[in-house]
Amino acid sequence: MVERPTPIRVLIAKPGLDGHDRGAKVLARGLRDEGFEVIYTGIRRSTEAIVAAAIEEDVDVVGCSILSGAHATLLPKVVAGLREAGASDVLVVAGGIIPEDDRAGLVAAGVAAIFGPGSTIAEIATYLRAHVRRR
Amino acid sequence: MSDAADQQGEGAASAARATALRGARELAQAISTVERGGAAADALIQEALTQLAQRSGAGAVVIGVTGPPGAGKSTLVGALADHARAAGRRVAILAVDPSSAVSGGALLGDRVRVEERPGDEGRFMRSIATRGSGRTLSHAAAAASILLEAAGFDLLFIETVGAGQADLGIVRLADLVLLVEGPEGGDEVQAMKAGILESADLVVVNKGDRPGAERAVERLRSGLALGAAAPEVLLVSATEGSGVRELLSALETLAVAQATGGQQRRVAAHLAAAVEERAVRRLRDAESDGRLAELARSIACGERPISGAVDELLR
Repeated sequence: MVERPTPIRVLIAKPGLDGHDRGAKVLARGLRDEGFEVIYTGIRRSTEAIVAAAIEEDVDVVGCSILSGAHATLLPKVVAGLREAGASDVLVVAGGIIPEDDRAGLVAAGVAAIFGPGSTIAEIATYLRAHVRRR
Repeated sequence: MSDAADQQGEGAASAARATALRGARELAQAISTVERGGAAADALIQEALTQLAQRSGAGAVVIGVTGPPGAGKSTLVGALADHARAAGRRVAILAVDPSSAVSGGALLGDRVRVEERPGDEGRFMRSIATRGSGRTLSHAAAAASILLEAAGFDLLFIETVGAGQADLGIVRLADLVLLVEGPEGGDEVQAMKAGILESADLVVVNKGDRPGAERAVERLRSGLALGAAAPEVLLVSATEGSGVRELLSALETLAVAQATGGQQRRVAAHLAAAVEERAVRRLRDAESDGRLAELARSIACGERPISGAVDELLR
């Protein structure tokens, strides 16, 4: 039997307490149009719930959108949770409002890329295609 | 508790969590493999069937959940899953959403409506896209349900795209079909039409807290009553939780009464999906390499009978 083409799977998550999900939704819809399978989890998810969802959905990428300022706490927890689950090959990327000064720390914690305001869907899609593990 | 004992307790909890997550990851990756298809998928399905054949007991109950978009299928499935977990069942949810015919991508949004329960090993949820199937189910839905049953889940909910009246793939796959309608749904004439309603084992009107819901129940009941063996129509409110316990117990009663088809039903559904997929692929290949156009031309100018062309396309 012939294998079917497999789209890249991306979990779009909103960890923490901010409820502003416009950006997350625009990205989810945009990546769908770029041919990705996008799993959207909704707002105010715990990092444990995000990790569990990423595992069950067997995604290639977890994209976290954070506007609350809690990125320095939440993002490393997502990376650590995936590592604990044996899924350190899942790419973690972030978007939202993340100050320039915090970026180096997040990258050191294992966040692969940070897309601030002004990033285009095409730019994000290109980055993801180039950097996901291929199975 | 001393700090050391505290730390030890935390270490054990984290080790247990890691083990559970790693188990879930293995299952999740197996589902990805059957979604991809091919020889590796066949091997996994075969292995799961071998495991199931060695097992005694009743086997899993698979409940297909269908109904129009916006009727509240996902929210209701989440509520049913919570009740079934509380009753000690191991519950899995497969939620199907459509793939874009244009980009091949999909937006899978059912997790928004289902409460996450991280750390609960007796629960698993997976969103799947229809991919090339062009239908309300994925080609991989039957295969995925075989894997979930082999992994020890004894109650499976499969939520379809629910695009209307002809959702018959789920009828083949599921032991029971639950049709979910909203409070505006199902006028009497629709209830008389052929389609999913005549295959439903149980019908619920969701959003029972909204005005008109009870009237919808009456409409559906009177429409269905004109046929033989009308399914029961229940009223629930998934968000408020009313009627959910009764619905679950009605489903369990039906499952026992109907002596479910078991794995053989799932295997038959998987075979049917594979045959459909192959036929559709033949057709698409013929479209893209021009054979379909060429056959159409030869039929149009009387060089070839229609049935001969169909045989040739399926060969």
